[in-house]
Amino acid sequence: MEKRSGSEMKAISVRQGWLWLGRGLGGLLLLGLYLVIERGGNAYLQRLSVLFLINLMLVVSLNLFTGFTGVFSLGHIGFMALGAYTSAILTLPVTAKAANLPDLPAPLASVALPFLPALLLGGLFAALVAGLIGIPILRLSGHFVAVATLGFLIITRVVLINAEAFTRGTRTFAGVPPYTTLSWAALWAALNVYIAWRLKHSTLGLQILAARDDPWGAQGVGVAIGRVRLIAFGISAFFTGVAGGLWAHFLTAFSPNAFYFSKTFEIIVMMIVGGMGSITGSIVGTLLVMSVTELLRNLEPGVTVGTFSIGPLYGLSQIGLAVLLIFLTAFRRQGLLGDREFRLEALIERTEDWIREFRVPWKASSVREADPFMRR
Amino acid sequence: MHAVGSLEFWIQQLINALGLGSQYALMAVGLAMVFAVMRLINFAHGTVMMGGAYIGLLLLQRGLPFPLVAAGTILGAAALGVLMERIAYRPIRGAPDVALLLNSFAVAVFLENIAVLLFSPRSRPFPMPALLTQVFHPWGDLFIPSIHLWAFGGALLALGGLAFFVTRTRIGLAMRAAAENPTAAQLMGIEVGKVTLLAFAIGSAMAGLAVLFWVAHIGTVQPGMGFEPVLKAFVACVIGGFGTIPGAVLGGYLLGALEIFLQGLLPSAVVGYRDALVYAVLIFLLLVRPGGVLGHGEAERI
Amino acid sequence: MRPLRWFGVLFLILILAAAACAPGAAPTAAPTGPAAPASPTAAPATPAGGAPIRIGAPFNLTGGMASIDVPAANGARLAAEEINAAGGVLGRPIELLIRDTKTDPATAATVVTQLIEQDKVVAVIGFNDSDYVLAAGPICQRAGVPFITVGATSPRLPGQVGDMLFLAPFGDNVQAAVGAEFAFEKFGKTAYLLWDKGAEYTTVLAKYFKERFTELGGTIVLEDTYQSGDKDFSAQIAKVKALPQQPAFYYISALPDDVGTIVKQFRNAGINGPIVGGDGYDTPLLLQVAGPAAENVFFTTHSLLTADSPNERVRKFVAAYKQKYGTEPEAVFAALGYDTVYVLAEAIRRAGSTDGQAIKKALESIRDFPAVTGVINYSPQSHIPQKGVTVIEVKGGKFTLAAERVPQKVPAP
Repeated sequence: MEKRSGSEMKAISVRQGWLWLGRGLGGLLLLGLYLVIERGGNAYLQRLSVLFLINLMLVVSLNLFTGFTGVFSLGHIGFMALGAYTSAILTLPVTAKAANLPDLPAPLASVALPFLPALLLGGLFAALVAGLIGIPILRLSGHFVAVATLGFLIITRVVLINAEAFTRGTRTFAGVPPYTTLSWAALWAALNVYIAWRLKHSTLGLQILAARDDPWGAQGVGVAIGRVRLIAFGISAFFTGVAGGLWAHFLTAFSPNAFYFSKTFEIIVMMIVGGMGSITGSIVGTLLVMSVTELLRNLEPGVTVGTFSIGPLYGLSQIGLAVLLIFLTAFRRQGLLGDREFRLEALIERTEDWIREFRVPWKASSVREADPFMRR
Repeated sequence: MHAVGSLEFWIQQLINALGLGSQYALMAVGLAMVFAVMRLINFAHGTVMMGGAYIGLLLLQRGLPFPLVAAGTILGAAALGVLMERIAYRPIRGAPDVALLLNSFAVAVFLENIAVLLFSPRSRPFPMPALLTQVFHPWGDLFIPSIHLWAFGGALLALGGLAFFVTRTRIGLAMRAAAENPTAAQLMGIEVGKVTLLAFAIGSAMAGLAVLFWVAHIGTVQPGMGFEPVLKAFVACVIGGFGTIPGAVLGGYLLGALEIFLQGLLPSAVVGYRDALVYAVLIFLLLVRPGGVLGHGEAERI
Repeated sequence: MRPLRWFGVLFLILILAAAACAPGAAPTAAPTGPAAPASPTAAPATPAGGAPIRIGAPFNLTGGMASIDVPAANGARLAAEEINAAGGVLGRPIELLIRDTKTDPATAATVVTQLIEQDKVVAVIGFNDSDYVLAAGPICQRAGVPFITVGATSPRLPGQVGDMLFLAPFGDNVQAAVGAEFAFEKFGKTAYLLWDKGAEYTTVLAKYFKERFTELGGTIVLEDTYQSGDKDFSAQIAKVKALPQQPAFYYISALPDDVGTIVKQFRNAGINGPIVGGDGYDTPLLLQVAGPAAENVFFTTHSLLTADSPNERVRKFVAAYKQKYGTEPEAVFAALGYDTVYVLAEAIRRAGSTDGQAIKKALESIRDFPAVTGVINYSPQSHIPQKGVTVIEVKGGKFTLAAERVPQKVPAP
């Protein structure tokens, strides 16, 4: 965008009408999709959609930290676990608490909060923990942050297993009210994507990106790297915690085992496939990985094509995902979108150029400039 | 009978710590070698161990004598490591560290699920000769499983051999040069690709040796068996300072001692927090000595 | 233009994926009929005719639970094939839809939803751990589909899920009580207690054992834990050896994969007293890994599963399993999976229909049903079978019958 000259900037403002039309169409499309899934009565599709939205939140949040700062976090699922357990403890009905968590300390044992405050508190608790561990950890350089956050993930799991008064230990935490609906998940996911988008294109976002691309240069112009990283870490942990809360009230039963390496791996794959640092990439990556997983999982029990049949191949979806990741790192390391965004402006510009080209055959160069995957 | 805190108890736990530490050290050495030449934290190192163990099991089921089984395990692991480097890591050499790390995650997931398809996920017994499984009772109530001695000897031998190799042989020196500065090494006529392959072969052979002792200690093989060891090896490497062989060995022993003594001394109400304490120590070490206990100088910080 | 090409490929994949995920288009989701691609996991309908009766069978066939769930799925598959070879149920073959849920509760819930919504299964069997039963159970409950868990033994499950849930095994409180009573009488009043803190089954079993044993007047002289994945127990062993006096016996609550390793390492260190455990010990691995060290080990389980058992049903099961899978039943869960299908088939037969409520009522009416893992009784009040508990002793390198008992008192769930 920065490369654009003045005349082109003007060109965009001329296209405001088109832009709003595009936004309106996109919004209508999403709304229609939502209504079709919500009213369609296909519980399987609804389940997948809610899971998609929750995964999307996890991926966007992880991207908000890892993609924007370039520092890898392997511990985000720990924040998810904190959000899940906090909100579930808060919403659990008092009678269920007496039966399942007899040793819960007094103030917690006698309250049962509504969904929204519980979610917010879950997210805030995750953000608070992120702040506490972030202050020392984020001063380390990239590689070591990955190791330290991995340690955080393991410590979180051990604490959850041992803090039996709050979590029942390894025994399943059950009876959580099934509050999470498609609307809740959609609302939160939209908010998460919106905030991540605004953040990326704010002053703070520019500082964070600058700190990633050139730490010394950024410091030179007065960016406090530790501070901006910490802010990104906190916001990211908040939304991860909320996603954990949504997940907990969706499944209604879970144990610390759910929040460990396999979930971490899954979320990271989604982020990498879409592209680190790209929010629209996160959407594409989550959608693609979940579709491929679900497709392969449905093939696992075996397929028969005519007389030819393949026996059951359980594990196919994990293998498929691993192969996808290996190929991607070999041939398109930056993920599908890199850290670029899919922008409506660019799409419209491209369409207009295409129309113009239709009139004036010799203008190929403008097409290249108007690539919808516009460079940052 | 001796009480907790008695001299005999301490000696016993020291023996246990040395035994477990030797196992961890052997696992960590291979990981450190690969890291040194490629800056890759090879999470598939544990899968190499698993693969070696299954190759050994297949040979054992063919009725081969144990020395051949052992050799097959080590060579099989080495071959697996070489294949892995060729197929999965060679195409992405020079990628950012994190891309390499994730790729190794993917390789581990891939191989583990292939093993599930090939061998079924159930645990299988791996009978070992008495030489590896007998137990000595030197005096009193003390006991020394012979596997501890083997692992200790193996770790010493491996470390000594490696030290000789990297300081006294041409190819070993080339390996160090490539680890220090790949571009300069290439300019000096060192074939970095070959050196990397060799590092993988040796590191994976170490994994094969480690898994022999590990399997003798636990008695079974299973597709998911590589996961815990690679985590331990990884922690050992971080404690000792990543990428150095002496650091990996020392880290292995420190980790073994930490686990044994925490398990042995914590009261039963809090002993469940053992791993949390281990990782808290790890994070603390990262903060005060990011280069590991053997690391020299301050690691880069922001 | 490179990114565009990628976008095209991506788009193509997405369309393919969407097509496969769309209801009705998935290979397993096709409506029943001659043209429907038969799932190879379902047994062929040899003598029985008519549309197959579909039973959902979600298991964690990959991931951490796989070594426990795969034998259970194998047992279930074997039973379905036997039933179909004998003419099926209600003149129709059984089609067992075995699905992998990847040791992930979210996948478990998705898979069960899909089985009920798209595959229209009449009942669901599966899982050996409460995490997955509690993720999937409420979905079955809402849909009115009976759900029998093959191996999850937490006695709280029916209360947590509702009246459509049944257990195939006894509750952990029952076997822990028998273990405590048996060991208290036979070995004495002092015990060492070690359990795996990383798994639910081992934690619950240890808690019930401790409750019943101390209630009897026994003392736990030392309590210790480890984490699933730990393979070295030398620190725990050194603590046991440092006790001023060795306890009368050692109660160790462990998963099947670890049992052999633990017993071997304890014996190697010179701890030769009786080791007592739960049905996690019921695996050939105990004898294969620990070898002679497994002598003087006692454990509570469902029945004596050996090829030379006096019980003909057991002998038949062990022989059939070995013939089909080339190995003896890997763990007791194989027998539980086998029994679950037979119990369900019996209930469908009695109900005379595949209606969920009718099957549930029929299950509640089952009394004295002879199964491989003991005699199964259900009632409207109790969806956990009232079975006797078998105590097995390892003697002469073999599993031998030590006792068959019912507990005098069962700890509250």
